[in-house]
Amino acid sequence: MDANFSDILARVTRLGRKGSDLLEALGRAGLFLGQSAISVPSREGWRLWMQQMHFVGVLSLAIVLVSGLFIGMVISLQGYTILVEFGAEEALGQMVALSLLRELAPVVAALLFAGRAGSALTAEIGLMKATEQLSSMEMIGVDPLRRVVAPRLWAGFVSLPILTVGFSVVGVWGGYLVGVQWLGVFEGSYWSNMQASVTFLNDVGNGMVKSLVFAVVVTWIAVFQGYDLVPTSEGISRATTRTVVYSSLAVLGLDFVLTAVMFGGL
Amino acid sequence: MLSAHKVSAGFYMTDTAFIEIQDLHFTRGDHEIFRGVNMSIPRGRVTAIMGPSGTGKTTLLKLIGGQLTPDSGRILIDGQDVNRLSRKALFKLRQRMGMLFQSGALFSDLDVFENVAFPLRVHTNLPDAMVRDIVLLKLQAVGLRGARELMPSELSGGMARRVALARAVSLDPELILYDEPFVGQDPISMGVLVQLIKRLNQALELTSVVVSHDIKETLSIADYLYLIADGEVVAHGTPQMLDTHQDPRVEQFMHGQPDGPVPFHYPAQPFYDDILNHDATTRIG
Repeated sequence: MDANFSDILARVTRLGRKGSDLLEALGRAGLFLGQSAISVPSREGWRLWMQQMHFVGVLSLAIVLVSGLFIGMVISLQGYTILVEFGAEEALGQMVALSLLRELAPVVAALLFAGRAGSALTAEIGLMKATEQLSSMEMIGVDPLRRVVAPRLWAGFVSLPILTVGFSVVGVWGGYLVGVQWLGVFEGSYWSNMQASVTFLNDVGNGMVKSLVFAVVVTWIAVFQGYDLVPTSEGISRATTRTVVYSSLAVLGLDFVLTAVMFGGL
Repeated sequence: MLSAHKVSAGFYMTDTAFIEIQDLHFTRGDHEIFRGVNMSIPRGRVTAIMGPSGTGKTTLLKLIGGQLTPDSGRILIDGQDVNRLSRKALFKLRQRMGMLFQSGALFSDLDVFENVAFPLRVHTNLPDAMVRDIVLLKLQAVGLRGARELMPSELSGGMARRVALARAVSLDPELILYDEPFVGQDPISMGVLVQLIKRLNQALELTSVVVSHDIKETLSIADYLYLIADGEVVAHGTPQMLDTHQDPRVEQFMHGQPDGPVPFHYPAQPFYDDILNHDATTRIG
């Protein structure tokens, strides 16, 4: 009985410690975001931001656009086979556009971004920490949160929504290629149905809000994991994995919540 | 006058101290690294902090630089308590310091020239031509002016450390912290480095703190020595005072004897027991 009680007590203690560790990590991450994201950009800051926009944004363009094209083509193909059974293939444009704008573009672009740019950010900052570059920067009197972290954070915040727009545009075009050019849906109905059903605020606007939220979350996770890791080779590999896993789960979970609020009438 | 002070107060009077460490306690995990360390590092001199590996010499430099926070005690640099400064004020204070890291810690995305120019570019508005002149002067001093276009990945460990030294002095700081500057240097660059540290100190009236366990080189440049072991200052004094110190721990370290009160081995059970009485399935006896 006594042994049982102490066993339960030990479990409760462990649970409590895990809880407090989690809260502490969240607090650290929050402070980290506040200290690095809120800073007045200098001229040098703009230059560093542009540099990161290239690494984080421009270099992710290829994977995001190619994926967008294929996803648009697949939705069009799948949608056509179902719609044609009801003689409603004219609604193909509407289906492609709405599924891309509302769901697929923000979510898939964010997942690809986490894999392509997020993991690279974690590894880069982690390696800078392991080789004492961040420490030496501190000792030179330069705050690495402002110099290293802030440009990367802002590059992520800005570039993912732009990549999402690119994803949607290319996806709609991919849907057009398959639906109109290949399967023979009337071109006028593909575009006019899309025009009639897509509203700017509700569909494009909500999709962009989602994308912005994902951009903040994914970049924050990636950069924090790099900054907070244990500076060993094993630590870097674990943190990189954590970035991709946490970002993907956060994107999918938040997508459900945002969809429920935006379209589910919550 | 100076020698009178040496006799009366052990060394220089504390009012000439640039760094004052008072009752410093620091623990990492369960391991107590410092328990009540007191030090007074005189302005404009070379002070060496020596001690066996693992005594926390690098940790002490990080505490001085404000990169770690002590459990208790105070560290005053030129009268300012490092741990009570705001983040902004701490970074401002660090502009007056230079630190030479053991690994060099050069920025891997910048070449040698830009690494040395980095502090000048971020903290001054000097025109490019002047930045170039200063960088070349510093690189000339460490003998690497010809290597200015190399990337850090193309340098040997010793060269990287010399570039890092040029970077640490590029802003002409008041204080330089050297973390094991002599490790991995060939005899020629070792001699140059020793001279360089001494000359920098004399010409610019820098305060230098050298953490090292290379006794011969350190003794040749240090004005004052602190020996730390077991989380405490074991002895301090001028090189001559420590060389003839009576404490067996000091004697053992200064003369590099394997046997003495400071154990060479990490704590373990007796060797005989470990070899003969073990369970074959485990690594622990």
